[in-house]
Amino acid sequence: MSNCSCENPLIPQIVEVIKIVDETPDVKTFYVQKDNGVPFDVMPGQLAMVSLLPVGEGMFSVSWQEDDHLQFAIKRVGVMTDELHAIDVGQRLGVRGPYGNGFPVEKCKGQDMLFIGGGIGLAPLRSFIKYCFKHREDYGKITIIYGSRSYDDLCFKEELFEKWPQEKDTQVYVTIDNAEEKWDGHVGYVPAYLEELNPDPQNTVAVTCGPPIMIKFVLQALEKMGFSDEQVITTLEMRMKCGIGKCGRCNIGSEYICLDGPVFDLAQLRKLPPEW
Amino acid sequence: MKYFKKGQIEKIIDRLAEKADVYVPMLRGQQSGFYSWKSYDENYDDLIFDLLNVYSPPKNIVLPQTEKMYSFDQQGQEIIIKPEEIPVEPNVIFGIRSCDVKAIEYLDEVFFTRTFVDEFYKARRDQVTIVANACYNPGTNCFCKSMGVNPLEPEAADVILREVENGYVWESKTEKGNILTKQIEDLLEEKEVELYEPNRFVRKVNYDGVAEKLKDLFDHPMWEKYSDPCQTCGICTYMCPTCYCFDVQVKNWGEEGYRFRCWDSCMYREYTQMAGGHNPREAATERFRNRFLHKLQFFNERYGTPLCTGCGRCVVACPAGVDIIRMIELIKGAEPSV
Repeated sequence: MSNCSCENPLIPQIVEVIKIVDETPDVKTFYVQKDNGVPFDVMPGQLAMVSLLPVGEGMFSVSWQEDDHLQFAIKRVGVMTDELHAIDVGQRLGVRGPYGNGFPVEKCKGQDMLFIGGGIGLAPLRSFIKYCFKHREDYGKITIIYGSRSYDDLCFKEELFEKWPQEKDTQVYVTIDNAEEKWDGHVGYVPAYLEELNPDPQNTVAVTCGPPIMIKFVLQALEKMGFSDEQVITTLEMRMKCGIGKCGRCNIGSEYICLDGPVFDLAQLRKLPPEW
Repeated sequence: MKYFKKGQIEKIIDRLAEKADVYVPMLRGQQSGFYSWKSYDENYDDLIFDLLNVYSPPKNIVLPQTEKMYSFDQQGQEIIIKPEEIPVEPNVIFGIRSCDVKAIEYLDEVFFTRTFVDEFYKARRDQVTIVANACYNPGTNCFCKSMGVNPLEPEAADVILREVENGYVWESKTEKGNILTKQIEDLLEEKEVELYEPNRFVRKVNYDGVAEKLKDLFDHPMWEKYSDPCQTCGICTYMCPTCYCFDVQVKNWGEEGYRFRCWDSCMYREYTQMAGGHNPREAATERFRNRFLHKLQFFNERYGTPLCTGCGRCVVACPAGVDIIRMIELIKGAEPSV
């Protein structure tokens, strides 16, 4: 009758929401904890199914793990996330996971890292960015290019403007789609800004996540700059129900995004049917 | 050879039913399927052993159409989760045909392998003993042999029954099968009988090279053309003994309720509809293509076989005349578009 310890990968564990951060008008970060710790350990880029029991469950990337909690940055886009945005600290949620392959943090060691994010797409990238900072000596130069529709829609502002630029050998470039009064930074779309900055592909891995249209043009830009398919990594999204490669729907070709993904390099993606 | 007379069959089922829930092929009104012997009513039901296959596949025995997973009770901010107890009564699927036995083998691959084990499936599957009925007379839409199924030797069967003159041969294949044999030993006789020569298949298709060829046909205009009659009703997926896709849904009354899973269909728009609006398979053509590619290419790439056992049910059930045998022929004849 108690909270199950979950030998069964489809049954969630119960966690408590210990903190909620308003990132943007429609993004909140939920900090969840189980018995003063985490329900399970995750690697950057991995996923977990978050469940508001009477409403539904949804698959989200874990945007960071600390010793005593997991963080999920979640955008309000539908029925379940609407309800999720209405909860208060103290609410119990279900979580199950971790699912998916995560970012190739080992393989990227010794490389310069180029992160290119758009909107809520920074949530999964953030787990890898913070991992690089935590293991700073393992990675070379870090460049972060991030944009959103407006200033208000920029996620993780404190990290973006205060913390990350202070990190060793790190450049953070932020842009918004249209000019506004309170913004004196760069204006324009992410792919164009990327081309303008024209980063050197040598010894560099580019990791990108954002709206499909942004990813499409970022990939084109990277190719133009001379990045090989193996140097470009992205993380995909599909509707998911089980998270364990059984329920069928998240396939692209014969790959299941929940199990074989969500992280793929461009060389792998080019072998798949063009449904991503 | 162990043998029993046709007239003994109900006695044998009765005996097996003392220790297990026995599912047998029955005609129930307009429907036919594998139903529990416990529910047999001689006024409404007919045992249909000699007929070829039943309309509904037996996959619901291992993968119920709806299945409770756990219940929950939310009180204020607190939540209690209670996993559902999965019934563990032994089952016998009695009289299942080779195509459906092979389908269970494929479900085993899906639910037992490739990283995770599905505990709900496992709890049910572990309890199943398979008594297969070898096919000597293929039906008008049967093409199991074309899909690599041996109608006379269902591999995952624990017992194989072979219809002979006036009776059946009982051939135990596994330890599970031997247990059943012991249970009914006094109803079996030792007798040398002549086995029938199997009849020829009316429908045949050559699957060789199809998975490989499909790699170059993703953008082919054929999908637009051949999906045109499809109503995306999903009956093909419900009738298919190998289709295993499921949805997870919630049933609640206020703060209390349960999560359950139920069969889903790749033919439906909602199957891949994401919150926020994006749908990678929005168009019926895209869903139609994904279904055939999953059956004939993707499953083969992942598990080494097509996800079709040639039972022919989808061919019979489709209201629009979509025919997988014809599809395979059309794929074989298609010129890759460059």
